[in-house]
Amino acid sequence: MTTTDTDTLDVRAAAHRQKRRRQIAYVLYLILGIILSLLMWQLVAAPFSPLFYLVPPPFDAFRHFGENLMFSERMLERYVHACPDLLDELELTGGGMFDLPDHCFGYIRHIMRTTRNIMIAVTLGTVFGLTVGLSSLVFPRIADVVTPIAGFFGTTPIFIAAPFFVIWFGIEYPLMTTVGVVVFYTTLLMYFFSRRAADNIPVGIIESALTLGGDRGSIFRWVYLPGTIPEIAGGFRIALAGAWGLGTLVEVLGIQMGGGFLIRMWSFAMGVLEGPAAVVSLILFFGVLAVVVDGILVLFIRYITRWSESGRKLGL
Amino acid sequence: MSTVVNFENLWCVFEHRSGQLVHALEDVNFRVDPGEFVCVVGRSGHGKTTLLRVLAGLQPPTAGAVKLGDTAVTGPGSDRAMVFQQDTVFPWLHVKENVEFGLRANKLPEDERNEITNYWLQAVGLEEFADSWPRELSGGMRKRVALASAMAVGSDVVLMDEPFGSLDYFTRRNLHEVLLNLWFETKKTIFFVTHDIEEALILADRVILLAEGKLVDDIAVTLPRPRNEDVRATPEAVGIFKLILAHLGITEEEATQA
Repeated sequence: MTTTDTDTLDVRAAAHRQKRRRQIAYVLYLILGIILSLLMWQLVAAPFSPLFYLVPPPFDAFRHFGENLMFSERMLERYVHACPDLLDELELTGGGMFDLPDHCFGYIRHIMRTTRNIMIAVTLGTVFGLTVGLSSLVFPRIADVVTPIAGFFGTTPIFIAAPFFVIWFGIEYPLMTTVGVVVFYTTLLMYFFSRRAADNIPVGIIESALTLGGDRGSIFRWVYLPGTIPEIAGGFRIALAGAWGLGTLVEVLGIQMGGGFLIRMWSFAMGVLEGPAAVVSLILFFGVLAVVVDGILVLFIRYITRWSESGRKLGL
Repeated sequence: MSTVVNFENLWCVFEHRSGQLVHALEDVNFRVDPGEFVCVVGRSGHGKTTLLRVLAGLQPPTAGAVKLGDTAVTGPGSDRAMVFQQDTVFPWLHVKENVEFGLRANKLPEDERNEITNYWLQAVGLEEFADSWPRELSGGMRKRVALASAMAVGSDVVLMDEPFGSLDYFTRRNLHEVLLNLWFETKKTIFFVTHDIEEALILADRVILLAEGKLVDDIAVTLPRPRNEDVRATPEAVGIFKLILAHLGITEEEATQA
Protein backbone atom coordinates (compact mmCIF):
# COMPACT_ATOMS: atom_id res chain seq x y z
CA MET A 1 0.00 0.00 0.00
CA THR A 2 1.38 3.41 -0.91
CA THR A 3 0.78 6.56 1.06
CA THR A 4 0.59 10.08 -0.26
CA ASP A 5 0.36 13.57 1.18
CA THR A 6 -1.95 14.71 -1.59
CA ASP A 7 -5.47 15.12 -0.34
CA THR A 8 -8.23 13.57 -2.47
CA LEU A 9 -10.08 16.87 -2.42
CA ASP A 10 -7.01 18.63 -3.81
CA VAL A 11 -6.88 16.17 -6.70
CA ARG A 12 -10.58 16.68 -7.36
CA ALA A 13 -10.21 20.46 -7.24
CA ALA A 14 -7.23 20.31 -9.61
CA ALA A 15 -9.25 18.18 -12.08
CA HIS A 16 -12.10 20.68 -11.81
CA ARG A 17 -9.73 23.60 -12.47
CA GLN A 18 -8.28 21.79 -15.48
CA LYS A 19 -11.75 21.19 -16.89
CA ARG A 20 -12.69 24.84 -16.34
CA ARG A 21 -9.46 25.96 -18.10
CA ARG A 22 -10.34 23.76 -21.11
CA GLN A 23 -13.84 25.29 -21.24
CA ILE A 24 -12.48 28.84 -21.06
CA ALA A 25 -9.90 28.05 -23.77
CA TYR A 26 -12.70 26.67 -25.97
CA VAL A 27 -14.74 29.88 -25.63
CA LEU A 28 -11.67 32.08 -26.21
CA TYR A 29 -10.73 30.23 -29.40
CA LEU A 30 -14.34 30.45 -30.55
CA ILE A 31 -14.35 34.24 -30.05
CA LEU A 32 -10.96 34.48 -31.77
CA GLY A 33 -12.32 32.50 -34.74
CA ILE A 34 -15.35 34.81 -35.02
CA ILE A 35 -13.14 37.94 -34.84
CA LEU A 36 -10.78 36.55 -37.53
CA SER A 37 -13.74 35.71 -39.79
CA LEU A 38 -15.13 39.23 -39.38
CA LEU A 39 -11.71 40.73 -40.17
CA MET A 40 -11.45 38.59 -43.32
CA TRP A 41 -14.95 39.64 -44.30
CA GLN A 42 -14.05 43.31 -43.73
CA LEU A 43 -10.95 42.86 -45.92
CA VAL A 44 -12.97 41.27 -48.74
CA ALA A 45 -15.48 44.16 -48.52
CA ALA A 46 -12.79 46.86 -48.45
CA PRO A 47 -12.69 49.43 -51.33
CA PHE A 48 -9.49 47.92 -52.77
CA SER A 49 -11.08 44.44 -52.99
CA PRO A 50 -12.37 43.20 -56.39
CA LEU A 51 -15.51 42.01 -54.54
CA PHE A 52 -16.19 45.47 -53.11
CA TYR A 53 -19.48 45.91 -55.03
CA LEU A 54 -20.77 42.42 -54.18
CA VAL A 55 -19.80 41.98 -50.54
CA PRO A 56 -21.01 44.51 -47.97
CA PRO A 57 -18.97 45.22 -44.83
CA PRO A 58 -20.15 43.22 -41.81
CA PHE A 59 -21.47 46.25 -39.99
CA ASP A 60 -23.68 47.22 -43.00
CA ALA A 61 -25.13 43.72 -43.14
CA PHE A 62 -25.90 43.64 -39.41
CA ARG A 63 -27.37 47.15 -39.49
CA HIS A 64 -29.57 46.32 -42.48
CA PHE A 65 -30.89 43.22 -40.79
CA GLY A 66 -31.60 45.04 -37.54
CA GLU A 67 -33.35 47.93 -39.27
CA ASN A 68 -35.59 45.68 -41.40
CA LEU A 69 -36.33 42.93 -38.95
CA MET A 70 -39.59 44.25 -37.47
CA PHE A 71 -40.59 46.83 -40.09
CA SER A 72 -39.01 47.46 -43.49
CA GLU A 73 -39.68 50.72 -45.27
CA ARG A 74 -38.25 49.19 -48.46
CA MET A 75 -40.69 46.28 -48.34
CA LEU A 76 -43.59 48.64 -48.00
CA GLU A 77 -42.28 50.61 -51.00
CA ARG A 78 -42.08 47.39 -52.98
CA TYR A 79 -45.55 46.23 -51.89
CA VAL A 80 -44.04 43.19 -50.21
CA HIS A 81 -45.88 42.10 -47.09
CA ALA A 82 -46.30 38.98 -45.02
CA CYS A 83 -49.98 39.22 -44.09
CA PRO A 84 -51.87 37.72 -47.04
CA ASP A 85 -55.03 37.07 -45.04
CA LEU A 86 -55.10 40.64 -43.83
CA LEU A 87 -54.71 41.90 -47.38
CA ASP A 88 -57.72 39.85 -48.52
CA GLU A 89 -59.69 41.40 -45.71
CA LEU A 90 -58.53 44.88 -46.66
CA GLU A 91 -59.51 44.29 -50.29
CA LEU A 92 -62.97 43.26 -49.17
CA THR A 93 -63.32 46.35 -47.03
CA GLY A 94 -61.79 48.56 -49.70
CA GLY A 95 -58.61 49.33 -47.75
CA GLY A 96 -55.13 49.52 -49.30
CA MET A 97 -51.60 48.24 -48.77
CA PHE A 98 -50.66 51.26 -46.68
CA ASP A 99 -53.52 50.50 -44.28
CA LEU A 100 -51.83 47.25 -43.22
CA PRO A 101 -50.22 47.29 -39.76
CA ASP A 102 -46.41 47.75 -39.52
CA HIS A 103 -45.74 44.19 -38.44
CA CYS A 104 -46.81 42.96 -41.89
CA PHE A 105 -43.71 44.60 -43.39
CA GLY A 106 -40.76 43.07 -41.62
CA TYR A 107 -38.32 40.24 -42.22
CA ILE A 108 -39.40 38.59 -39.02
CA ARG A 109 -42.69 37.21 -40.33
CA HIS A 110 -41.02 35.78 -43.44
CA ILE A 111 -38.28 34.20 -41.38
CA MET A 112 -40.80 32.76 -38.95
CA ARG A 113 -42.78 31.33 -41.87
CA THR A 114 -39.68 29.58 -43.21
CA THR A 115 -38.78 28.28 -39.75
CA ARG A 116 -42.32 27.00 -39.18
CA ASN A 117 -42.43 25.23 -42.56
CA ILE A 118 -39.08 23.58 -42.01
CA MET A 119 -39.99 22.42 -38.52
CA ILE A 120 -43.32 20.98 -39.71
CA ALA A 121 -41.62 19.28 -42.66
CA VAL A 122 -38.72 17.82 -40.69
CA THR A 123 -41.09 16.55 -38.01
CA LEU A 124 -43.38 14.91 -40.58
CA GLY A 125 -40.45 13.44 -42.53
CA THR A 126 -38.89 12.09 -39.34
CA VAL A 127 -42.17 10.50 -38.26
CA PHE A 128 -42.70 8.91 -41.69
CA GLY A 129 -39.09 7.78 -42.09
CA LEU A 130 -38.78 6.36 -38.60
CA THR A 131 -42.19 4.68 -38.68
CA VAL A 132 -41.34 2.81 -41.86
CA GLY A 133 -37.70 2.20 -40.89
CA LEU A 134 -38.40 0.92 -37.39
CA SER A 135 -41.48 -1.07 -38.46
CA SER A 136 -39.29 -2.85 -40.98
CA LEU A 137 -37.24 -4.19 -38.09
CA VAL A 138 -40.29 -5.98 -36.71
CA PHE A 139 -41.72 -6.87 -40.14
CA PRO A 140 -38.75 -7.46 -42.47
CA ARG A 141 -41.07 -7.71 -45.51
CA ILE A 142 -41.56 -3.93 -45.27
CA ALA A 143 -37.83 -3.46 -45.83
CA ASP A 144 -37.93 -5.84 -48.81
CA VAL A 145 -40.56 -3.64 -50.46
CA VAL A 146 -39.41 -0.18 -49.37
CA THR A 147 -35.60 -0.39 -49.59
CA PRO A 148 -35.34 -0.74 -53.40
CA ILE A 149 -37.76 2.16 -53.94
CA ALA A 150 -36.10 4.34 -51.30
CA GLY A 151 -32.72 3.40 -52.77
CA PHE A 152 -33.85 4.58 -56.20
CA PHE A 153 -35.17 7.92 -54.95
CA GLY A 154 -32.34 8.25 -52.45
CA THR A 155 -29.81 8.35 -55.27
CA THR A 156 -31.68 11.25 -56.93
CA PRO A 157 -29.95 14.43 -55.79
CA ILE A 158 -32.59 16.36 -53.89
CA PHE A 159 -31.46 19.68 -55.38
CA ILE A 160 -32.46 18.29 -58.79
CA ALA A 161 -35.83 17.10 -57.48
CA ALA A 162 -36.61 20.40 -55.71
CA PRO A 163 -37.59 22.45 -58.82
CA PHE A 164 -40.10 19.75 -59.79
CA PHE A 165 -41.88 20.17 -56.47
CA VAL A 166 -42.18 23.88 -57.21
CA ILE A 167 -43.72 23.02 -60.60
CA TRP A 168 -46.05 20.34 -59.20
CA PHE A 169 -47.43 22.28 -56.26
CA GLY A 170 -47.04 25.70 -57.82
CA ILE A 171 -46.09 28.90 -56.08
CA GLU A 172 -49.59 29.47 -54.70
CA TYR A 173 -49.13 26.76 -52.07
CA PRO A 174 -45.84 27.61 -50.41
CA LEU A 175 -46.49 25.37 -47.42
CA MET A 176 -47.18 22.36 -49.64
CA THR A 177 -44.12 22.99 -51.80
CA THR A 178 -41.57 23.64 -49.04
CA VAL A 179 -42.99 20.94 -46.82
CA GLY A 180 -43.23 18.51 -49.75
CA VAL A 181 -39.56 18.80 -50.66
CA VAL A 182 -38.28 18.68 -47.10
CA VAL A 183 -40.60 15.82 -46.09
CA PHE A 184 -39.43 13.82 -49.12
CA TYR A 185 -35.78 14.42 -48.26
CA THR A 186 -36.17 13.85 -44.51
CA THR A 187 -38.27 10.69 -44.92
CA LEU A 188 -35.63 9.05 -47.11
CA LEU A 189 -32.79 10.10 -44.84
CA MET A 190 -34.48 8.95 -41.64
CA TYR A 191 -35.49 5.63 -43.22
CA PHE A 192 -31.91 4.87 -44.19
CA PHE A 193 -30.50 6.04 -40.85
CA SER A 194 -32.95 3.94 -38.82
CA ARG A 195 -32.10 0.86 -40.91
CA ARG A 196 -28.38 1.48 -40.62
CA ALA A 197 -28.64 2.14 -36.88
CA ALA A 198 -30.38 -1.20 -36.40
CA ASP A 199 -27.80 -2.99 -38.55
CA ASN A 200 -25.04 -1.55 -36.37
CA ILE A 201 -26.39 -3.03 -33.14
CA PRO A 202 -24.00 -5.93 -32.43
CA VAL A 203 -25.49 -9.34 -33.23
CA GLY A 204 -24.23 -10.57 -29.84
CA ILE A 205 -26.53 -8.13 -28.05
CA ILE A 206 -29.58 -9.36 -29.97
CA GLU A 207 -28.59 -12.99 -29.36
CA SER A 208 -28.06 -12.27 -25.68
CA ALA A 209 -31.55 -10.73 -25.49
CA LEU A 210 -32.96 -13.84 -27.20
CA THR A 211 -31.33 -16.23 -24.75
CA LEU A 212 -32.66 -14.13 -21.86
CA GLY A 213 -36.20 -14.74 -23.12
CA GLY A 214 -36.69 -11.65 -25.28
CA ASP A 215 -39.30 -11.93 -28.00
CA ARG A 216 -39.83 -9.72 -31.07
CA GLY A 217 -41.77 -7.08 -29.12
CA SER A 218 -39.49 -6.82 -26.10
CA ILE A 219 -36.33 -6.79 -28.24
CA PHE A 220 -37.83 -3.99 -30.35
CA ARG A 221 -38.78 -1.95 -27.26
CA TRP A 222 -35.71 -2.48 -25.08
CA VAL A 223 -32.96 -3.18 -27.61
CA TYR A 224 -33.70 -1.66 -31.01
CA LEU A 225 -35.45 1.53 -29.88
CA PRO A 226 -32.86 2.72 -27.33
CA GLY A 227 -29.91 1.21 -29.23
CA THR A 228 -30.66 3.09 -32.44
CA ILE A 229 -31.16 6.50 -30.81
CA PRO A 230 -27.57 7.82 -31.20
CA GLU A 231 -27.40 7.09 -34.92
CA ILE A 232 -30.98 8.22 -35.60
CA ALA A 233 -30.26 11.44 -33.70
CA GLY A 234 -27.19 11.96 -35.88
CA GLY A 235 -29.37 11.43 -38.97
CA PHE A 236 -31.89 13.92 -37.63
CA ARG A 237 -29.17 16.56 -37.27
CA ILE A 238 -28.09 15.98 -40.87
CA ALA A 239 -31.72 16.11 -42.04
CA LEU A 240 -32.37 19.35 -40.17
CA ALA A 241 -29.15 20.97 -41.38
CA GLY A 242 -30.04 20.06 -44.97
CA ALA A 243 -33.63 21.17 -44.49
CA TRP A 244 -32.61 24.78 -43.75
CA GLY A 245 -30.80 24.99 -47.06
CA LEU A 246 -33.42 23.05 -48.98
CA GLY A 247 -36.42 24.89 -47.53
CA THR A 248 -34.86 28.28 -48.27
CA LEU A 249 -33.82 27.15 -51.75
CA VAL A 250 -37.39 26.16 -52.62
CA GLU A 251 -38.53 29.64 -51.58
CA VAL A 252 -35.80 31.20 -53.71
CA LEU A 253 -37.14 29.19 -56.67
CA GLY A 254 -40.55 30.85 -56.73
CA ILE A 255 -42.55 30.97 -53.51
CA GLN A 256 -43.92 34.42 -52.58
CA MET A 257 -43.24 34.07 -48.86
CA GLY A 258 -40.37 33.23 -46.51
CA GLY A 259 -36.70 34.01 -46.06
CA GLY A 260 -35.79 32.51 -49.44
CA PHE A 261 -38.28 34.82 -51.11
CA LEU A 262 -36.61 37.83 -49.42
CA ILE A 263 -33.22 36.68 -50.71
CA ARG A 264 -34.65 36.41 -54.23
CA MET A 265 -36.33 39.81 -53.96
CA TRP A 266 -33.10 41.51 -52.93
CA SER A 267 -31.01 39.60 -55.45
CA PHE A 268 -32.72 41.68 -58.14
CA ALA A 269 -31.35 44.78 -56.45
CA MET A 270 -27.72 43.68 -56.11
CA GLY A 271 -26.60 46.80 -57.99
CA VAL A 272 -28.29 48.98 -55.42
CA LEU A 273 -26.20 49.81 -52.37
CA GLU A 274 -28.55 47.99 -49.99
CA GLY A 275 -29.01 44.82 -52.08
CA PRO A 276 -25.82 42.93 -51.16
CA ALA A 277 -26.21 43.85 -47.49
CA ALA A 278 -29.75 42.42 -47.50
CA VAL A 279 -28.83 39.16 -49.24
CA VAL A 280 -25.72 38.57 -47.13
CA SER A 281 -27.49 39.41 -43.87
CA LEU A 282 -30.34 37.01 -44.65
CA ILE A 283 -28.01 34.19 -45.62
CA LEU A 284 -25.97 34.84 -42.51
CA PHE A 285 -29.06 34.88 -40.34
CA PHE A 286 -30.20 31.47 -41.59
CA GLY A 287 -26.69 30.14 -41.03
CA VAL A 288 -26.65 31.37 -37.45
CA LEU A 289 -30.20 30.13 -36.84
CA ALA A 290 -29.25 26.65 -38.11
CA VAL A 291 -26.15 26.58 -35.87
CA VAL A 292 -28.11 27.69 -32.78
CA VAL A 293 -30.88 25.12 -33.36
CA ASP A 294 -28.23 22.45 -33.95
CA GLY A 295 -26.46 23.42 -30.72
CA ILE A 296 -29.66 23.06 -28.72
CA LEU A 297 -30.31 19.74 -30.45
CA VAL A 298 -26.83 18.47 -29.58
CA LEU A 299 -27.40 19.20 -25.89
CA PHE A 300 -30.73 17.36 -26.02
CA ILE A 301 -29.23 14.39 -27.88
CA ARG A 302 -26.37 14.17 -25.40
CA TYR A 303 -28.89 14.09 -22.59
CA ILE A 304 -30.99 11.28 -24.06
CA THR A 305 -27.86 9.29 -24.95
CA ARG A 306 -26.17 9.94 -21.62
CA TRP A 307 -25.45 6.23 -21.33
CA SER A 308 -22.97 6.57 -24.19
CA GLU A 309 -19.63 8.32 -24.55
CA SER A 310 -21.31 11.68 -25.22
CA GLY A 311 -23.00 11.37 -21.84
CA ARG A 312 -19.63 10.96 -20.19
CA LYS A 313 -18.42 14.16 -21.87
CA LEU A 314 -21.39 16.03 -20.41
CA GLY A 315 -20.60 14.58 -16.98
CA LEU A 316 -24.02 12.88 -16.77
CA MET B 1 -33.08 -28.62 -11.07
CA SER B 2 -34.03 -31.68 -13.05
CA THR B 3 -33.21 -31.02 -16.67
CA VAL B 4 -31.03 -33.61 -18.34
CA VAL B 5 -29.30 -32.36 -21.49
CA ASN B 6 -28.81 -34.90 -24.27
CA PHE B 7 -26.73 -34.43 -27.38
CA GLU B 8 -27.95 -37.07 -29.83
CA ASN B 9 -26.05 -37.80 -33.05
CA LEU B 10 -25.44 -34.10 -33.50
CA TRP B 11 -24.07 -32.90 -36.83
CA CYS B 12 -23.50 -29.37 -37.92
CA VAL B 13 -22.18 -28.83 -41.41
CA PHE B 14 -21.56 -25.46 -43.09
CA GLU B 15 -20.95 -24.78 -46.74
CA HIS B 16 -17.92 -22.62 -47.37
CA ARG B 17 -18.07 -19.96 -50.11
CA SER B 18 -15.82 -22.17 -52.22
CA GLY B 19 -18.48 -24.89 -52.03
CA GLN B 20 -16.43 -27.01 -49.65
CA LEU B 21 -18.32 -28.54 -46.71
CA VAL B 22 -17.01 -27.74 -43.24
CA HIS B 23 -17.94 -30.25 -40.54
CA ALA B 24 -18.18 -28.11 -37.41
CA LEU B 25 -19.72 -30.98 -35.42
CA GLU B 26 -19.62 -34.65 -36.34
CA ASP B 27 -21.88 -37.15 -34.67
CA VAL B 28 -21.55 -35.74 -31.17
CA ASN B 29 -23.23 -37.81 -28.46
CA PHE B 30 -23.18 -37.20 -24.72
CA ARG B 31 -25.47 -36.64 -21.80
CA VAL B 32 -25.17 -34.09 -19.02
CA ASP B 33 -26.92 -34.63 -15.70
CA PRO B 34 -28.58 -31.82 -13.77
CA GLY B 35 -26.20 -29.61 -11.76
CA GLU B 36 -23.03 -30.67 -13.55
CA PHE B 37 -20.32 -28.16 -14.41
CA VAL B 38 -19.13 -29.14 -17.87
CA CYS B 39 -16.22 -27.49 -19.63
CA VAL B 40 -16.00 -27.90 -23.39
CA VAL B 41 -12.36 -27.70 -24.38
CA GLY B 42 -10.72 -27.68 -27.78
CA ARG B 43 -8.62 -25.67 -30.17
CA SER B 44 -10.02 -22.64 -31.94
CA GLY B 45 -12.33 -23.58 -34.82
CA HIS B 46 -12.92 -27.13 -33.61
CA GLY B 47 -16.62 -26.78 -32.85
CA LYS B 48 -16.82 -25.60 -29.22
CA THR B 49 -18.84 -22.47 -29.88
CA THR B 50 -21.01 -24.21 -32.47
CA LEU B 51 -21.90 -26.85 -29.90
CA LEU B 52 -22.95 -24.14 -27.45
CA ARG B 53 -24.88 -22.18 -30.09
CA VAL B 54 -26.84 -25.29 -31.07
CA LEU B 55 -27.69 -25.85 -27.42
CA ALA B 56 -28.69 -22.17 -27.10
CA GLY B 57 -30.97 -22.55 -30.13
CA LEU B 58 -29.06 -19.89 -32.07
CA GLN B 59 -27.82 -22.41 -34.64
CA PRO B 60 -29.99 -25.22 -36.04
CA PRO B 61 -28.24 -28.58 -36.31
CA THR B 62 -27.81 -30.21 -39.72
CA ALA B 63 -28.75 -33.57 -38.23
CA GLY B 64 -29.42 -35.01 -34.80
CA ALA B 65 -30.79 -33.08 -31.88
CA VAL B 66 -30.12 -31.49 -28.53
CA LYS B 67 -32.78 -32.33 -26.00
CA LEU B 68 -33.62 -30.76 -22.68
CA GLY B 69 -35.39 -33.61 -20.95
CA ASP B 70 -37.59 -34.97 -23.72
CA THR B 71 -37.92 -31.69 -25.61
CA ALA B 72 -35.71 -30.96 -28.60
CA VAL B 73 -34.18 -27.48 -28.77
CA THR B 74 -35.70 -25.57 -31.68
CA GLY B 75 -34.82 -21.98 -30.81
CA PRO B 76 -33.45 -19.69 -28.13
CA GLY B 77 -35.22 -19.38 -24.80
CA SER B 78 -34.74 -18.22 -21.25
CA ASP B 79 -34.40 -21.82 -20.07
CA ARG B 80 -30.84 -21.66 -21.51
CA ALA B 81 -29.47 -18.21 -20.70
CA MET B 82 -26.09 -17.52 -22.23
CA VAL B 83 -23.06 -15.40 -21.30
CA PHE B 84 -21.10 -14.45 -24.40
CA GLN B 85 -17.41 -13.92 -25.05
CA GLN B 86 -17.99 -10.38 -26.29
CA ASP B 87 -19.48 -7.60 -24.19
CA THR B 88 -23.26 -8.04 -24.52
CA VAL B 89 -24.40 -5.89 -21.62
CA PHE B 90 -27.00 -3.40 -22.86
CA PRO B 91 -25.18 -0.06 -22.65
CA TRP B 92 -28.42 1.98 -22.60
CA LEU B 93 -29.78 0.24 -19.49
CA HIS B 94 -28.59 0.81 -15.94
CA VAL B 95 -26.90 -2.15 -14.27
CA LYS B 96 -30.11 -3.03 -12.41
CA GLU B 97 -32.21 -2.84 -15.58
CA ASN B 98 -29.72 -5.11 -17.33
CA VAL B 99 -30.12 -7.79 -14.68
CA GLU B 100 -33.88 -7.25 -14.83
CA PHE B 101 -34.07 -7.64 -18.62
CA GLY B 102 -34.91 -11.34 -18.77
CA LEU B 103 -37.39 -11.01 -15.92
CA ARG B 104 -39.22 -8.18 -17.72
CA ALA B 105 -39.16 -10.12 -20.98
CA ASN B 106 -40.73 -13.03 -19.12
CA LYS B 107 -43.36 -10.66 -17.68
CA LEU B 108 -42.66 -11.13 -13.99
CA PRO B 109 -44.46 -8.72 -11.64
CA GLU B 110 -42.45 -5.70 -10.53
CA ASP B 111 -42.12 -6.71 -6.87
CA GLU B 112 -40.79 -10.10 -7.79
CA ARG B 113 -38.45 -8.59 -10.36
CA ASN B 114 -36.99 -6.19 -7.79
CA GLU B 115 -36.48 -8.93 -5.26
CA ILE B 116 -34.72 -11.25 -7.71
CA THR B 117 -32.63 -8.46 -9.23
CA ASN B 118 -31.44 -7.20 -5.85
CA TYR B 119 -30.54 -10.75 -4.81
CA TRP B 120 -28.37 -11.36 -7.88
CA LEU B 121 -26.75 -7.95 -7.77
CA GLN B 122 -25.71 -8.73 -4.22
CA ALA B 123 -24.57 -12.22 -5.23
CA VAL B 124 -22.13 -10.81 -7.78
CA GLY B 125 -21.11 -7.90 -5.51
CA LEU B 126 -22.61 -5.09 -7.60
CA GLU B 127 -25.39 -3.85 -5.33
CA GLU B 128 -23.64 -0.47 -4.98
CA PHE B 129 -23.54 -0.08 -8.75
CA ALA B 130 -27.22 -0.83 -9.40
CA ASP B 131 -27.86 2.65 -10.80
CA SER B 132 -24.61 2.94 -12.77
CA TRP B 133 -24.32 2.90 -16.53
CA PRO B 134 -22.31 -0.03 -17.94
CA ARG B 135 -19.76 2.46 -19.37
CA GLU B 136 -18.89 3.38 -15.78
CA LEU B 137 -17.86 -0.21 -14.98
CA SER B 138 -14.67 -2.13 -15.66
CA GLY B 139 -14.59 -5.12 -18.04
CA GLY B 140 -14.72 -7.54 -15.13
CA MET B 141 -17.69 -5.76 -13.56
CA ARG B 142 -19.56 -5.85 -16.87
CA LYS B 143 -18.97 -9.60 -17.00
CA ARG B 144 -20.53 -9.84 -13.54
CA VAL B 145 -23.56 -7.97 -14.86
CA ALA B 146 -23.85 -10.45 -17.73
CA LEU B 147 -23.47 -13.33 -15.28
CA ALA B 148 -26.12 -11.91 -12.93
CA SER B 149 -28.49 -11.36 -15.89
CA ALA B 150 -28.10 -14.99 -16.98
CA MET B 151 -28.51 -16.34 -13.46
CA ALA B 152 -31.46 -14.09 -12.59
CA VAL B 153 -33.61 -15.31 -15.47
CA GLY B 154 -34.01 -18.58 -13.57
CA SER B 155 -32.90 -21.10 -16.15
CA ASP B 156 -31.71 -24.53 -15.09
CA VAL B 157 -28.98 -24.45 -17.72
CA VAL B 158 -26.46 -21.65 -18.12
CA LEU B 159 -24.23 -21.47 -21.18
CA MET B 160 -20.92 -19.61 -21.14
CA ASP B 161 -18.85 -19.08 -24.27
CA GLU B 162 -15.31 -18.17 -23.21
CA PRO B 163 -16.81 -15.45 -21.03
CA PHE B 164 -13.59 -14.46 -19.29
CA GLY B 165 -11.29 -14.80 -22.29
CA SER B 166 -10.69 -11.08 -22.70
CA LEU B 167 -9.97 -10.38 -19.02
CA ASP B 168 -6.65 -10.17 -17.20
CA TYR B 169 -5.45 -13.05 -15.00
CA PHE B 170 -6.46 -11.54 -11.65
CA THR B 171 -9.93 -10.52 -12.77
CA ARG B 172 -10.43 -13.93 -14.33
CA ARG B 173 -9.46 -15.72 -11.12
CA ASN B 174 -11.79 -13.50 -9.16
CA LEU B 175 -14.65 -14.27 -11.53
CA HIS B 176 -13.91 -18.02 -11.30
CA GLU B 177 -14.55 -17.74 -7.58
CA VAL B 178 -17.74 -15.74 -8.08
CA LEU B 179 -19.00 -18.26 -10.64
CA LEU B 180 -18.16 -21.29 -8.51
CA ASN B 181 -19.88 -19.77 -5.48
CA LEU B 182 -23.02 -19.15 -7.55
CA TRP B 183 -22.88 -22.67 -8.91
CA PHE B 184 -22.49 -24.23 -5.45
CA GLU B 185 -25.44 -22.18 -4.29
CA THR B 186 -27.79 -22.81 -7.22
CA LYS B 187 -26.55 -26.12 -8.62
CA LYS B 188 -27.50 -25.05 -12.12
CA THR B 189 -26.09 -27.03 -15.03
CA ILE B 190 -23.26 -25.01 -16.53
CA PHE B 191 -21.72 -25.44 -19.98
CA PHE B 192 -18.49 -23.49 -20.10
CA VAL B 193 -16.53 -23.25 -23.34
CA THR B 194 -12.83 -22.52 -23.00
CA HIS B 195 -9.55 -23.21 -24.72
CA ASP B 196 -7.71 -22.70 -21.42
CA ILE B 197 -7.02 -26.13 -19.91
CA GLU B 198 -6.11 -24.65 -16.52
CA GLU B 199 -9.42 -22.81 -16.40
CA ALA B 200 -11.22 -26.07 -17.16
CA LEU B 201 -9.35 -27.81 -14.34
CA ILE B 202 -10.29 -25.07 -11.87
CA LEU B 203 -13.98 -25.14 -12.77
CA ALA B 204 -15.18 -28.41 -14.23
CA ASP B 205 -16.73 -31.65 -13.03
CA ARG B 206 -16.32 -32.93 -16.54
CA VAL B 207 -14.25 -31.93 -19.53
CA ILE B 208 -15.68 -32.62 -22.97
CA LEU B 209 -12.88 -32.59 -25.50
CA LEU B 210 -13.62 -31.60 -29.07
CA ALA B 211 -11.17 -31.97 -31.93
CA GLU B 212 -12.16 -31.24 -35.53
CA GLY B 213 -15.82 -31.33 -34.52
CA LYS B 214 -15.61 -34.79 -32.95
CA LEU B 215 -15.96 -35.67 -29.29
CA VAL B 216 -12.58 -37.24 -28.58
CA ASP B 217 -12.86 -37.71 -24.83
CA ASP B 218 -15.13 -37.14 -21.88
CA ILE B 219 -12.98 -36.74 -18.78
CA ALA B 220 -14.31 -36.73 -15.22
CA VAL B 221 -12.42 -34.20 -13.08
CA THR B 222 -12.57 -35.50 -9.55
CA LEU B 223 -10.02 -33.15 -8.00
CA PRO B 224 -11.03 -31.79 -4.58
CA ARG B 225 -12.35 -28.22 -4.37
CA PRO B 226 -11.28 -25.46 -3.99
CA ARG B 227 -8.77 -26.18 -6.73
CA ASN B 228 -5.93 -23.91 -5.71
CA GLU B 229 -2.34 -24.07 -7.03
CA ASP B 230 -1.49 -27.00 -4.72
CA VAL B 231 -4.39 -29.09 -6.00
CA ARG B 232 -3.52 -28.26 -9.61
CA ALA B 233 0.04 -29.41 -8.95
CA THR B 234 -0.98 -32.92 -7.76
CA PRO B 235 -0.05 -35.87 -10.00
CA GLU B 236 -3.75 -36.46 -10.76
CA ALA B 237 -4.27 -32.89 -12.00
CA VAL B 238 -1.05 -32.94 -14.01
CA GLY B 239 -2.13 -36.29 -15.50
CA ILE B 240 -5.45 -34.82 -16.67
CA PHE B 241 -3.64 -31.77 -18.03
CA LYS B 242 -1.27 -33.97 -20.04
CA LEU B 243 -4.11 -36.19 -21.25
CA ILE B 244 -5.96 -33.16 -22.61
CA LEU B 245 -2.79 -31.88 -24.29
CA ALA B 246 -2.24 -35.25 -25.91
CA HIS B 247 -5.81 -35.39 -27.21
CA LEU B 248 -5.50 -31.93 -28.67
CA GLY B 249 -2.19 -32.86 -30.30
CA ILE B 250 -0.24 -30.24 -28.39
CA THR B 251 3.25 -31.05 -27.11
CA GLU B 252 4.33 -29.90 -23.66
CA GLU B 253 6.86 -27.51 -25.26
CA GLU B 254 4.08 -25.90 -27.30
CA ALA B 255 1.90 -25.61 -24.21
CA THR B 256 4.74 -23.97 -22.25
CA GLN B 257 5.37 -21.49 -25.06
CA ALA B 258 1.64 -20.67 -25.28
